[in-house]
Amino acid sequence: MTALHVQGLVKHFDNVRAVDGLDMDVADGEFFALLGPSASGKTTTLRTICGIEQADAGNIFLDGKDMTTAQVRDRGVAMVFQTFALYPHLSIFDNLAFPLREQKLSRADIATRVGEIAEMLRLTHTLDRKPGTASGGEQQRIAIGRALVRRPKLLLLDEPLTNLDAKLRHDTRAEFKRLHREHGMTIVYATPDELEALSLGQRIGIMNEGRMVQVGTVDEVYDSPVNPFVAAQVGSPRMNLISAVRQGSDENPVIELPFADVSGGPWAHALKAFPVGAEVLFGIRPHDLSTDQSADVGPKFIGTVHLTEPLGDIVILDLVANGTQFKLVLPEEQAVRYGVGDELPLTFGLSNTHVFAKETGIAIR
Amino acid sequence: MFFKKKDRGIREAGWDRTLITGVVGMVYFAPVFWIILNAFKTRQDGLATPPKLFFTPSMDNFFNVFYRITDAGDHVATGMGLYFFNSIFAAGAGVLLALVIGTLAAYGFSRYPLRGNDTYLFVILTTRMLPPIVVIIPIFLMFRVTGLSGSYIGIILLYAMFNLAFSVWMMKSFFDELSTDVEDAARLDGINEIKVFFKICIPQLTAGLAATAVFALILTWNEFLFALLLTGNDTRTVPVAMARAMGGQLGVDYGLLSAIITLFLIPVFVVTYMLQNHLLRGVTFGTVKK
Repeated sequence: MTALHVQGLVKHFDNVRAVDGLDMDVADGEFFALLGPSASGKTTTLRTICGIEQADAGNIFLDGKDMTTAQVRDRGVAMVFQTFALYPHLSIFDNLAFPLREQKLSRADIATRVGEIAEMLRLTHTLDRKPGTASGGEQQRIAIGRALVRRPKLLLLDEPLTNLDAKLRHDTRAEFKRLHREHGMTIVYATPDELEALSLGQRIGIMNEGRMVQVGTVDEVYDSPVNPFVAAQVGSPRMNLISAVRQGSDENPVIELPFADVSGGPWAHALKAFPVGAEVLFGIRPHDLSTDQSADVGPKFIGTVHLTEPLGDIVILDLVANGTQFKLVLPEEQAVRYGVGDELPLTFGLSNTHVFAKETGIAIR
Repeated sequence: MFFKKKDRGIREAGWDRTLITGVVGMVYFAPVFWIILNAFKTRQDGLATPPKLFFTPSMDNFFNVFYRITDAGDHVATGMGLYFFNSIFAAGAGVLLALVIGTLAAYGFSRYPLRGNDTYLFVILTTRMLPPIVVIIPIFLMFRVTGLSGSYIGIILLYAMFNLAFSVWMMKSFFDELSTDVEDAARLDGINEIKVFFKICIPQLTAGLAATAVFALILTWNEFLFALLLTGNDTRTVPVAMARAMGGQLGVDYGLLSAIITLFLIPVFVVTYMLQNHLLRGVTFGTVKK
């Protein structure tokens, strides 16, 4: 059952195409993460789904019903804003009660429902105060409470953690997971942070320039990115993308990297369709490079340490091999052996490498 | 009086600077002080040189504001009571009208901008660029033709127009400050556009409304030129009556004039004092992170 189905959505602002033919499907009860850099159209997509903005083209179906032009209040969609957008002139109780009063619920029912929500979000002690006096985390929970109190069919979250500090962000992420599990509601969660998207989303949709670039589970988008954009968005530190050339014969393609030649990866068959001399991008994640040359799996080459970024238990090394820069992640106890200027023996397994056509960006596999 | 709130991290000034400020303040306040003292002095005390700081206060001047004693010894009302009512009514109604229209217009300019929005706003501002003396003749003629001259409705409409540009500009800047996310959140909670305006925007702007009202009231309260030419005997306001009281056969009665001015100060003082909490309170502070 599809809770939300968006088809060819287009939204302009003056001359800017904020959303440019977006398609997406979200299943009933799914936690769907919308990942994309700022200005990729995430917020506009959410605002159009809930009806604050009207779509210029395309359709929005909620629970199978076409709601493209429906009134905001008829859609049964709630949204939590990045800025929280609490009503500053009302008490926290009245903030939570606001949507219920508009539904003309009785006083007693309102008190009960607000009480339940406040209990669940640990806001009971704050109800008499104004939102301006609440802490960042409390304001966040009020915003979520106000969205949940009217029991929406679909909950949209627009970068809800952006305005919180790092510690609170971590705790609230766990809170979202708990809320989703306990209430089983459908959630669309927009974020520019891959860590949030990967840890929360059952499926992830990656957006760029108003379009959906790839949709899939964490493993799918991590293991098989459809283009260099997705490859760079998912995974930290980001995938090394190295300019290379397809060489070898028609039947036996070889990729010529600045520091090594590789052949026989998962992309080998598909690469045959490309002419000799075609330019490609060769992708390998910093985690998949290894200093252990004894395992006879792939090309062997030497990298020179250019920069080190210690991050506690792991260290990111910036390396240079034959004029090309790339990153490598090592456990701290291995990395202590290396300083700037040192040379490292390197290798990598071919199964985790990716090749993209340079011009079109399409993954070759 | 106006800045009670202590900003943490900003140190209070020492005694030296406070004293200098106090002295400068006294220089500004001196004329007002002289007038208020004068209102309570007899004619002899008032004209004494050097001015007397200590004297037996008398209420005669205040009595004379409202009553004149005829040669036969009868008390006759001077009409000043009516003029005070006129001032309050004309300024109050004019400012209220300007505030209502101005706030609605400002909301429109802020939330539903027209093509060339800034041009319209500029045009509105130009209505206040000309000195009143320049526009008074055409306005006077218009009032004569329409029969508004000398009527309450005439002076109230004029004062509303007089304050409209100011209220539109002030209120627009306040509306621009509000987070539109809050309004969108309210729409999602299911309320219509009229309620968004009345239940979400206006309650956040009480401080802005109070500030605009106070400034407009003070401007209108002191207005003289339009009132002089466009009010009649029954609709005359205090500033005009005050000017008339200045020219008697027996020279200027400073005591009487001071008493009128002292009474004239009270309403402005009371309104400003009542609204001072609203002027100070930043109700929207800290609820929306930008």
